[in-house]
Amino acid sequence: MGELIRLEHIVKSFDDTMVLNGIDLSVAENEFVTLLGPSGCGKTTTLRIIGGFEKPDEGRVWFDGKDITDLPANQRLLNTVFQNYALFPHMTVGENIAFGLRVKNKPEQYIKDKIKYALKLVNLDGFQNRQIDQMSGGQQQRIAMARAIVNEPRVLLLDEPLGALDLKLRQEMQYELVRLKKELGITFLYITHDQEEALTMSDKVVVMNEGYIQQQGTPEQIYDEPVNAFVADFIGDSNIIDGTMIAEKVVRIDGKDYPCIDGTEQGFPPRSRVDVVIRPEDIDIVPYGQGQWNGTIISKLFIGVHYEMLVQSEDGKVEWLLQNYDQHDVGEKIGMKVDPENIQIMQKPKSEAESAIELDL
Amino acid sequence: MKKTLGRIYVLLIMLFLYLPILTLIVLSFNDAKSMSVWTGFSLHWYAELFQSRLMMGAIVNTFSIAILAAIIATVVGTMAVIGMSAMKPRQENTLMAFNNIPMLNADIVTGIALMLFFLMVSWPRGYMSILFSHTTFCIPYVILSVRPRLNKNTDRLFEAALDLGASEKYAFRKIVIPELKPGIMTGFLLSFTMSVDDFIITYFTRGAGINTISTLIYSEVKIGIRPSLFALSTIIFVVALVVLITVNVHQSRADKALSAA
Repeated sequence: MGELIRLEHIVKSFDDTMVLNGIDLSVAENEFVTLLGPSGCGKTTTLRIIGGFEKPDEGRVWFDGKDITDLPANQRLLNTVFQNYALFPHMTVGENIAFGLRVKNKPEQYIKDKIKYALKLVNLDGFQNRQIDQMSGGQQQRIAMARAIVNEPRVLLLDEPLGALDLKLRQEMQYELVRLKKELGITFLYITHDQEEALTMSDKVVVMNEGYIQQQGTPEQIYDEPVNAFVADFIGDSNIIDGTMIAEKVVRIDGKDYPCIDGTEQGFPPRSRVDVVIRPEDIDIVPYGQGQWNGTIISKLFIGVHYEMLVQSEDGKVEWLLQNYDQHDVGEKIGMKVDPENIQIMQKPKSEAESAIELDL
Repeated sequence: MKKTLGRIYVLLIMLFLYLPILTLIVLSFNDAKSMSVWTGFSLHWYAELFQSRLMMGAIVNTFSIAILAAIIATVVGTMAVIGMSAMKPRQENTLMAFNNIPMLNADIVTGIALMLFFLMVSWPRGYMSILFSHTTFCIPYVILSVRPRLNKNTDRLFEAALDLGASEKYAFRKIVIPELKPGIMTGFLLSFTMSVDDFIITYFTRGAGINTISTLIYSEVKIGIRPSLFALSTIIFVVALVVLITVNVHQSRADKALSAA
């Protein structure tokens, strides 16, 4: 897979507000890349720069080996599915889809075939003479997809395309999108603030915050090995606790020492202060006194598949978040156990921007 | 009891609103010139109206000025809105405030100001000066009715068109203009009515020897009003009524078609 899009140190500010602080990003051909972050993190601006709707203050945008930083939006070989679909309200479904082809003066028969093909692809066969306002949100979303893909772009930019849909439809559309991407064989650059969406669909997830890329990697890497407290907290629930490396591959948390798998090699020499992440589902409940530490359950919540519990530890002042399939009662004293490979060591934030991030959590 | 009172109340309002117009219509068919005695049905005031070059001239002036002023104001106003949308919000708000002042300003002030302006630049007063004045006071109304149509959503649609490969010109023509159309239509119709309706500004900016319907009626009143003016007023009222009914029927049919689909 060759590189298709490359962002080189993109800097962008609006009226003295820094939005992007030097973004470097590479998207390979046929990859599903997701930019993930809270609102205001700069993900939409990044997409708009790639789409050609904003000019970066600094940095270059490369597409297929060519510098397209100054190329206007209508000459770029990519199409966008906009957040609110931006369907043309005074045109029918078919005319909406045909728009890009009409602009390029394609023959009428070709346009007809393409509309049919695209509608079939998004499961809206026979809807071409409908008015836009007669279509539901999910259908509009599909039309926006169809309108983009008839132009055979090499990259499809998707700006929170499922944001306006209800949960059930959103999950269906996630499968749909993955299927579409497979059938079309093109690159998807996807934007969302929904971590579940990002983890489900992407080949690569890029976590952004405050105009910085926090971490990029496969969904598994992002989930299992978050590099800082922001990523850990944004991707799923987690316990983030202060810790100190007291010996090689031993960390002291909550007044107790635990073996872990990170050490000097990973940049955590003894005596260094660190953040420790333990996922709530990685903490096992064992009978009182038989675990690594003990605590009392102070609250319990049933959320569908599992129970979520808050446990006050006996030895220290830490409240642990636990997820478990078994039911335990509030007030029950339990023991807790965690495997060394589930203890994730992270650097304490260094820069001011990173500390600011922590305060937001 | 309450219901009857309500009905009487509505009836009274209707009476006050429409009885004068009804009187006018009846009198326009009166045979005699009298405004108080009915002497028989006749169409001869209508005949007089259509034979009077003075009146026909005023009618032509009124409507040609209204149409031209509305067209020019709509074009200028729409272009102004597009220009304003590219401004920073603060600049735009300031400009909008300036746009609103002429609408709140008393007609008499606008009229005298325009008259003084024409005198100062020694622009001969006549058809063109009236047209210029009407265009001027119509533009703010066009801006006010088109501006709300040009919003974030229009920007997004414009971007979507560019994204699909359209040139800025093409996107503007095919996407932005159709989006603005309802506002443009409102602006045009508003301008047209304002222009037809206007008396004060026309009175101050017209020259000798040119009349619109309103200034003609005003000068006739001084020398004794003729029933042919009732005939003219009746025609204007009926035309307006027919247009209103057509628009409403059309609208409700369109609504029905939409809700049925």
